Amino acid sequence: MSGRKRTLLKVIILGDSGVGKTSLMNQYVNKKFSNQYKATIGADFLTKEVQVDDRLVTMQLWDTAGQERFQSLGVAFYRGADCCVLVYDVNVNKTFDNLDNWREEFLIQASPSDPENFPFVVLGNKVDVDGGNSRVVSEKKAKAWSASKGNIPYFETSAKEDYNVDAAFQIIAKNALKNETEEEIYLPDTIDVNAQRPQKSSGCEC
Amino acid sequence: MNEHSITATEEQEKWLADAQNVVKQQSFYMRKALDSSNLREALKYSAQMLVELRTSKLSPQKYYELYMQTFDELRHLEAFFQEESKRGRSNADLYELVQHAGNILPRLYLLITVGSVYIRSKEAPAKDILKDLVEMSRGVQHPIRGLFLRSYLSQISKDKLPDTGSDYEGEGGTIHDAVEFVLQNFTEMNKLWVRMQHQGSAKDKADREKREKERSELRDLVGKNLLVLSQLEGVDLELYKSTVLPRVLEQVVNCKDEIAQGYLMDCIIQVFPDEYHLQTLETLLAACPQLQPKVDIKSTMAGLMERLANYAAANSQVLSVFAEVEAFEKLSTAVATVVEAQVDMPLVSAVSLHVALLNFVLRCHADRLDYVDSVLGSCVKMLAGQGKIREAKSVKAIVALLSEPLAQYGDVVTVLQLGHYGQLMATLEFETNKVMAVLVIQSILKNGTRIGDCARVEALFQLLQELIRDGEDAPPVDQLDQEDFAEEQNLVARLLHVLVNDDPEEQFKILSAARKQFGLGGPRRLVFTLPPLVVESLKLVRRLQARGEVEEGGVTPKKVFQFLHQTVEALANVPAPELAFRLYLLCAEAASDCDLEPIAYEFFTQAFILYEEDIADSKAQVTALQLMTGTLQRTVVFGTENRDTLTHKATGYSAKLLKKPDQCRAVYNCSHLFWQDQEKGTRDGERVLLCLKRALRIANAAQQQANATRGSGGPVTLFVEILNKYLYHFDKGNQQVTTTVLQGLLELISTEVNSESAVQDPATEAFYASTLKHISFQKQKGGEAGDRYEAIKVQ
Ligand SMILES: Nc1nc2c(ncn2[C@@H]2O[C@H](COP(=O)(O)OP(=O)(O)OP(=O)(O)O)[C@@H](O)[C@H]2O)c(=O)[nH]1
Ligand SMILES: [Mg+2]
Repeated sequence: MSGRKRTLLKVIILGDSGVGKTSLMNQYVNKKFSNQYKATIGADFLTKEVQVDDRLVTMQLWDTAGQERFQSLGVAFYRGADCCVLVYDVNVNKTFDNLDNWREEFLIQASPSDPENFPFVVLGNKVDVDGGNSRVVSEKKAKAWSASKGNIPYFETSAKEDYNVDAAFQIIAKNALKNETEEEIYLPDTIDVNAQRPQKSSGCEC
Repeated sequence: MNEHSITATEEQEKWLADAQNVVKQQSFYMRKALDSSNLREALKYSAQMLVELRTSKLSPQKYYELYMQTFDELRHLEAFFQEESKRGRSNADLYELVQHAGNILPRLYLLITVGSVYIRSKEAPAKDILKDLVEMSRGVQHPIRGLFLRSYLSQISKDKLPDTGSDYEGEGGTIHDAVEFVLQNFTEMNKLWVRMQHQGSAKDKADREKREKERSELRDLVGKNLLVLSQLEGVDLELYKSTVLPRVLEQVVNCKDEIAQGYLMDCIIQVFPDEYHLQTLETLLAACPQLQPKVDIKSTMAGLMERLANYAAANSQVLSVFAEVEAFEKLSTAVATVVEAQVDMPLVSAVSLHVALLNFVLRCHADRLDYVDSVLGSCVKMLAGQGKIREAKSVKAIVALLSEPLAQYGDVVTVLQLGHYGQLMATLEFETNKVMAVLVIQSILKNGTRIGDCARVEALFQLLQELIRDGEDAPPVDQLDQEDFAEEQNLVARLLHVLVNDDPEEQFKILSAARKQFGLGGPRRLVFTLPPLVVESLKLVRRLQARGEVEEGGVTPKKVFQFLHQTVEALANVPAPELAFRLYLLCAEAASDCDLEPIAYEFFTQAFILYEEDIADSKAQVTALQLMTGTLQRTVVFGTENRDTLTHKATGYSAKLLKKPDQCRAVYNCSHLFWQDQEKGTRDGERVLLCLKRALRIANAAQQQANATRGSGGPVTLFVEILNKYLYHFDKGNQQVTTTVLQGLLELISTEVNSESAVQDPATEAFYASTLKHISFQKQKGGEAGDRYEAIKVQ
């Protein structure tokens, strides 16, 4: 059984449209960045193998649409997440203000077993813009907010200049792994167990 | 209804839970089989798991949950196939093998899963496998099942397309195969999605609503194909222009489904980059008028314009491309064409389209007033023949069209250059038009705008018509809210002070233009608008006076006074006699300052005529005479004859006031008319004394009258006041006012104060006491004043 079992970490990336969710993922997974904006439709994931301490794990990174109208099938994919990344644009106040909503919405929809300690990570993206001159949300403010929500780790990033992206995702992987709960073991109901299990487990296959 | 829907939700939950349970169960066995590398068993259980996806009971969102669960499970299967492949099993065989699954839906899911591994193995060209899969998927024609199956295909194949620069390019095919594959999947998905609309009854409202809700939930599955296209490296501008966009648009237009059209247009705009839109505007816009009438094309086009405007705002260097591709011209033509093509388009949508276009211009080409005006013009043209627009939402949109330029430029002078601005404003009915006019004035006042060009002033008045006069559309003035009316007229009045030009000629033209406009306002407005006009004209007179000589035909103080005469006369005719009286006096004084005796005399004469004929209220008369004597006192232009006539009249009217105390005060005030401080002023001590004596007589009479009516002497206030006037003139050095005269008066007052019938009045007593103190003070002061006061005795 252990031979096939790989650790799969499910990470959800949330935030307003245009903050750079897709760009961050692309930078992290494909080492690519484009200035063009292409709205994300629905949700989709990319996978990435990472080494956390001594373990090799697969991260399933779910990129989501920030535009509500492109999220028509709902957010069923939140379920089973091991970590949630909240992204805002340090140059746009509203995207920071909305972090609260994204967090709340996630906790309601994903209903993790221990919401108090569920791992989030906050990314303040686009710190490169205009040499930082057009920034409106200070690092201090963002850190204070992150701290107030249960000491969420906070990173300042630039998908464009690949600044802090790897570091952030490393922590994301690490915290997701800490959270990873043993997948609930499915036990077929009694009749099936009786019908199938004995024959299977009786013979020693080792 | 509510109860019903709760049950429906619960039912959905239950169905989903049941299905998920089966998936869990079957996948458990599938994984066990995988663990023991039992391919046949694994295929069996995975097929049994996938059978759950055949359900028709679940809503799209619930189906999506189930789909995701199976999706995750299929990853285990895929990993196993991958290993099998590594171990040397032929993918072609596997591909063959899974086709034995009994049921088509599980079979296709399995086939796609194997296909994924098959492509990766490169044992066969990617394009062939993809083509096969997309063709085979035709076998599922149930919309929800088909859409999810194809979205599985899309998801699995996304990183295996023979895209430019990808691993699968070359043997696996070219970008054209990739595009072809995605386009085909897109087209098929759209067809499935559109077909849903025609299942079930079109008439049953609840049925239709449920169907439309389901369709709306499914839309992202269809739209995502467009995102896949936009993410292909090989889809460069050329390919986008020549193939991708035309093919996508063809499908959008031909499907003739309003839900699909609106949504997919939105997707195209959002998923493809700005550069592409700029270079294909014509093609994209040409599709707009071809869409179904019910499509909310306004929002779509507004979305495009907003996106392009954001693009321009963030990258100013691309503005040259905007100009090069004539973005504005194309958008503008498209707006007109859409409005024309969609005859049933609600008016508000048509106007809103113009709002979107205007916002585009203001953000990308704020310096192009001609563009701004052309948007307004296009809207005016569209509204032609509709009369006044009254529908609330359309009105709001028109107001937006008018307010945006005001807000943007913060400068009415700029707005006045927009030829169509006034015409557009004229489409608004009375109330809104007025609101807009008020907004215009407020903007001027707030921004401190100065308008000094007569043509502009006239254009401005054109905009403010509804405030300035009774329009055809307006209710009668007396039915208006009086407070609002006054507020608006005061605004118009304040406006006058910013209509200034340093050149007196132009200034006079402006004032004359204003006069002409205000003249149309009717008596109710004139009382607000003419006084500031008089004030401004007098300011002009002062400037002309400073300027001195002028060339032939230029404006002179005389000309302005003529203008003033007419203007005040118009006020007198309203009638507003007290106001006109006051303004005549202002003019008179100004004329006097200009040394224009006949003109000053004429203004005084007009004032007196008004006084005689139209000022009847006794209080008003008192005030008027105070003003008159005050003005006359300051006036030195007159020769003896004119002066005598005027002062004679003033004293005459003073003595004729209704109440004795008023008479008394007016008369002693007249004493000032004969003793002017100015260098050229009259100094006629005798007539001063005559006035004071006359006042004293009246005060006596007043005292007697009081005795007769109330049996008491009344306060001695008047006497004390007269004493003060005497002292004033005594101080001024009027020889006629002698110490003897003063002494007599002092005794008179002392007798009055001590008489039995005297009324106690603390204020008068204090006044009296301080007057006496003044005298004592002067006496003690010594020097010249002390000498003069020496002879006066105070008890
Ligand atoms: N300068 C700069 N631009 C960035 C950065 N990250 C993203 N962008 C740009 O921001 C725009 C939006 O980025 P996306 O990654 O598409 O944003 P998103 O959050 O995925 O948006 P949705 O898919 O609509 O939710 C694109 O034009 C990117 O090029 C960054 O770090 N710096
Ligand atoms: Mg995105």
